[in-house]
Amino acid sequence: MATVRLEHIYKIYDGGVTAVNDFNLEIEDKEFIVLVGPSGCGKSTTLRMVAGLENISKGELYIGDTLVNNIEPKNRDIAMVFQSYALYPHMTVYENMAFALKMHKIPKDEIDKRVREAADILDITEYLNRKPKALSGGQRQRVAIGRAIVREPKVFLMDEPLSNLDAKLRNQMRAEIIKLRKRIDTTFIYVTHDQTEAMTLGDRIVIMKDGLIQQIGTPQEVFNEPANIFVAGFIGSPQMNFFNGVLKNEGGSVYALIPAANDGKGAKIKLTEEAAGKLEGFGDGKEVVIGIRPEHIRVVREMGENTIKGTIDVSEMMGSEYYLHISAAGKDVVLRVPMTDLPAEFRSGIPYGTEICFEFPAELIHMFDVESETNLLK
Amino acid sequence: MHANSIKSDSIKAKIQLNILRAIVYIILIFLTLLCLFSFYMLIINATRSNGQLQGGFTLIPAGHFFENLKNAWTDSSINIPRGMLNSFIVATLTAVLTTYFSALTAYGIHAYDFKLKKFAFGFIMAIMVIPNQVSASGFVQICYKFHLTNNYLPLILPGIAAPIVFFYMKQYMESVLPMEIIDAARVDGSGEFRTFNRIILPMIKPALAVQLIFAFVQSWNNYFLPGLLLTDSKMKTVPIMIAQLRSADYSKFDMGKVYMFILLAILPVIVVYLILSKSIIKGVTSGGVKG
Repeated sequence: MATVRLEHIYKIYDGGVTAVNDFNLEIEDKEFIVLVGPSGCGKSTTLRMVAGLENISKGELYIGDTLVNNIEPKNRDIAMVFQSYALYPHMTVYENMAFALKMHKIPKDEIDKRVREAADILDITEYLNRKPKALSGGQRQRVAIGRAIVREPKVFLMDEPLSNLDAKLRNQMRAEIIKLRKRIDTTFIYVTHDQTEAMTLGDRIVIMKDGLIQQIGTPQEVFNEPANIFVAGFIGSPQMNFFNGVLKNEGGSVYALIPAANDGKGAKIKLTEEAAGKLEGFGDGKEVVIGIRPEHIRVVREMGENTIKGTIDVSEMMGSEYYLHISAAGKDVVLRVPMTDLPAEFRSGIPYGTEICFEFPAELIHMFDVESETNLLK
Repeated sequence: MHANSIKSDSIKAKIQLNILRAIVYIILIFLTLLCLFSFYMLIINATRSNGQLQGGFTLIPAGHFFENLKNAWTDSSINIPRGMLNSFIVATLTAVLTTYFSALTAYGIHAYDFKLKKFAFGFIMAIMVIPNQVSASGFVQICYKFHLTNNYLPLILPGIAAPIVFFYMKQYMESVLPMEIIDAARVDGSGEFRTFNRIILPMIKPALAVQLIFAFVQSWNNYFLPGLLLTDSKMKTVPIMIAQLRSADYSKFDMGKVYMFILLAILPVIVVYLILSKSIIKGVTSGGVKG
């Protein structure tokens, strides 16, 4: 159990490519941090630098109070779970789990105790004498986690541990990691490209793109107050809808206009007073990007204030809800509509080409700067 | 009518397939016999006397097997058990050292990133194209200068640098050795040599077995360098002794003896092959990583 502090960490490769750019993060003791981002954003490289498997080009990394930049992985008191499990194929499950403890010269009876305890936690006791090839993917990943648990490390590192599992097993293992976390109660750094894993597991989430941190925050913060367009689009499924708009002051209120909406007639959305206050400094005609999450859009029967008209391109039945892809304002707008919110005639299916009106609740709108792409309402 | 024609087409296709299979099997059987023929002739010739062998070729065994065995074993100019032991020592040490160090070099190039890595790889590959005979004269001169004749070291040590074995190991590692396993071992606290010896070597067992067999056979059959460096009869290896028997003067010359010695000489090679071939199994690494 320890804090982890990354201060101005850079990873610059020989060819001059910067994989991680000025990474700053202070991880609390026993905190579960998730690094998330698309492929090549530098999240795995950052984790590997914490593990000591990659050299740090610039910056300082502390585990506890110790500067560990030049300390070998084995002396950092960390354990790591890899995406491909990385089990030793010629060793049994027991030997795989005991290997690290043997390397650290732990007495045999202590090794046995710890391995059996971990196997018990992960429900793999009956496989202890099997070789990895005789196990299923899920079981192998449990062994990989078990191998890390027995170390009782200060920091637990996980590099996309669920990416190789099928969807059902992934959901199951995700729940098990949450349970496991409660049991072993240590500092976790978890890397994933899956925003669902990030949202469900993390105390705080670090969203990265092109080696740069985009936002650090709790799942609620990054979902409700995304720092920029990238974060807004990355977190949430289906992703947030974006419209180009302009600000307009009229009669003491601030409106966001979407000129392309309603067959070029435009749509006018009245912003809340709080939002208007934050946008006070901007004059009329300020170009903005308006964002709204698919689940925050309401289907309405008639055109009114804050409404846009469109035609249905595709409707996806997801069981309890529909994903409606609507062609409106020159864009493909996605709505996530609970079955119960749909007019009765649409519940058994929505014909393509159907005209539909939808409304933006002003309090759930996000507003971004066109150039800097930052959140103007944050 | 239509159903009948489909049926007759199907029968035709089946006959064609069977004919094709028969041709393939006949070719395969012929090739197998061709490979086994030299062994068969060796065994037959070992049962024939020198006179019979001078008389010409036959496929039928004769009754001089034990006589040839006795003659070869008791020949005063050669000592078969001694020769076998010498060859065994040289071939075993060469095979083990060649395979181990080639695998170690290949691992170094495969697993580590360092400056001049590409150059190192290219340099080793370049050595591969230089024939042994080109460098041999210089090498033999050095051995004479350092009084290393009648010594097994010049036969064993140069084998450590075997570019072909290195190349084979490198290719094998690329296909079966994920870097994550090496990373996992590092995080687990295993030192670099221990990782190689305890984790990597067991994972590349099939490749090791193949190269051990090749290196053993090559060294066992090596005549060129031992012929130049070994003159002491106590130090001579099997190929030199066979050559000695063949070049014996007319009064002592006995082809039956020569064939018998050759037959004895291939036995250890067959035993080594049988032992090691068990390790050439597929899927040694399966299950370690997602594959």
